[in-house]
Amino acid sequence: MSEKLKSEELKTKNQSFFIRLLSTPNGFIGLTIVIILILSAGFADFLAPFSPTKMMVGNRFLPPNLEFILGTDEFGRDMVSRILFGSRLTLMIGAIAVGISMTTGIMIGLFAAYKGGWLEILLMRSTDILFSFTETLIALSCVAVLGPSLTNAVIAVGIAGIPFYARTCYSAALVEKSKPYFEASIACGASHSRLVFMHLLPNVLPTMIVISTLGVSTAILAAAGLSFLGLGAQPPLPEWGYMLAGSRDYINRAPWLMTIPGVAIALTVLGFNLLGDGFRTVLDPVERQR
Amino acid sequence: MIRFLLGKIVMAFLTVFITTILVTLLIHLVPGDPVRIMYAQSQGSTPEQIEEVRRNLGLDKPIYVQYFMYIEKLFQGDLGYTIRGGQPVIQVIFQRLPNTIMLACAAMIIAIGIGLPIGFFAAYKKGTIWDTFVMIIAIAGISMPHFWLGLILLFFFAVELGWLPVSGSGYMNLILPALTLGLSNAAIIARLTRSSMIDVMQQDFVQTALAKGLPKGLVLRRHVLRAGLVPLITMMGLQFAFMMGGAIVVENIFSWNGVGRMAVEAIFQRDYPIIQGFILTFAVVVVIVSIFLDTIYAFIDPRIRRS
Repeated sequence: MSEKLKSEELKTKNQSFFIRLLSTPNGFIGLTIVIILILSAGFADFLAPFSPTKMMVGNRFLPPNLEFILGTDEFGRDMVSRILFGSRLTLMIGAIAVGISMTTGIMIGLFAAYKGGWLEILLMRSTDILFSFTETLIALSCVAVLGPSLTNAVIAVGIAGIPFYARTCYSAALVEKSKPYFEASIACGASHSRLVFMHLLPNVLPTMIVISTLGVSTAILAAAGLSFLGLGAQPPLPEWGYMLAGSRDYINRAPWLMTIPGVAIALTVLGFNLLGDGFRTVLDPVERQR
Repeated sequence: MIRFLLGKIVMAFLTVFITTILVTLLIHLVPGDPVRIMYAQSQGSTPEQIEEVRRNLGLDKPIYVQYFMYIEKLFQGDLGYTIRGGQPVIQVIFQRLPNTIMLACAAMIIAIGIGLPIGFFAAYKKGTIWDTFVMIIAIAGISMPHFWLGLILLFFFAVELGWLPVSGSGYMNLILPALTLGLSNAAIIARLTRSSMIDVMQQDFVQTALAKGLPKGLVLRRHVLRAGLVPLITMMGLQFAFMMGGAIVVENIFSWNGVGRMAVEAIFQRDYPIIQGFILTFAVVVVIVSIFLDTIYAFIDPRIRRS
């Protein structure tokens, strides 16, 4: 190996993960969008000029102007404030739903991979079957059982995501399990909990975090879809999917009501997708060559 | 090959079997008394009437008895009766299922027609500005909520230009929902195609063919495309299931009279027999399509055909 290549390799190794992430265009744009989103969610109280639910009857259907930069809706509510507070809801929906799917998925995946035997077959086959149902159907069935509300929609989306995380965790855990260090710890007499929580879990976690970034975008889309159908957020919550559903009736009169929440959802989902892509490029050497 | 297909068919039966269990359990998972919830919206039902409904639905019997009752009726083609209107559920579903399947198939054709050539093109131009451009479009397409895309198409083609009807059930009405569903899946198919083709292009037999001096176009058509399409076929089953799932939302935007719209209405009205029937139908359709695709796969892939 030439000296130049060696130093190149050393350089990439020494560079921190974040610098490498920021040097990929996807990672940079994605991270920027996500940070803006987190800031707008965190400081919505300071940034929003009005309350997101305050109705001003005299100001109905105002197109974007100097006072109301993004216009007002059918109740005269300020769209800027609704979008800002909506970002808070959206991030919470994404985080909670992914939290549910990921913790349950990791538990199922680890358990199946570690235990083996008929439990493994049973768990992974049922996961496969649920996976073939698609997340939309599972989420819809859960809402049918629990009844329409934002909380239930988030739970439903969380449950719907479990098969995906369980499958990924399972295959990652199988790879770890076949490595020599794992057999060595068994030979040393490590306990079950030590093997699972000190060896398997920390090693599958990076993979899970990467896919959870992509998972946030799926979850946000699914929850917004449920709200769009009226099965999620209920009025007067400033939820973007619900806002879009309301805009259909005024599509002629106030097209900005349709454009703004749509752009907000699309940008958010794009941000998480790009960030996830960036993570994958940095962590996966095969992907990096492409 | 027969072993491969038999395995798939067993898996399919298992899927439908588990669905029937889930569907019977569904009504018991509802917090509170499902019969009361179902009738909460219609006023003036007496306790006697509620008891009668409970008996009719078999809810007064133990769960396993209910399950066998459900299966027995299922074999007779009976999925129960709708709460509102008292129509046979199977009739309501079969009236609307063709619409949903038509929508999903039209969308699938659009998605493959656009996604496949674009993905192939990106793989061919791998690493160039064209590839980057196509992949940016694809990631933007994946991030675009299909319900928003639907509204935008509705706004431009039906409201602004007035070329297509806003809603209804003719062939002209199929265009916008199919386009909505098709375009948002074209992006996914483009990405899948690209990575599948790139995998094949890096393999030795393609390198050999190129090294022999065969024209690049010939290698792409005869070697890369053929080998790259095989793994894609297996993914199409999942894509079709996504289409069916996406149809639920899209049907509601365009008031397309399919099973998805029926299911959402049923959820609002707490019409559990319809919801149960819908979930079962969805599972059966997805399973049939995936068996069909697996059969094609088995015939195309010589490794399976000759085993």
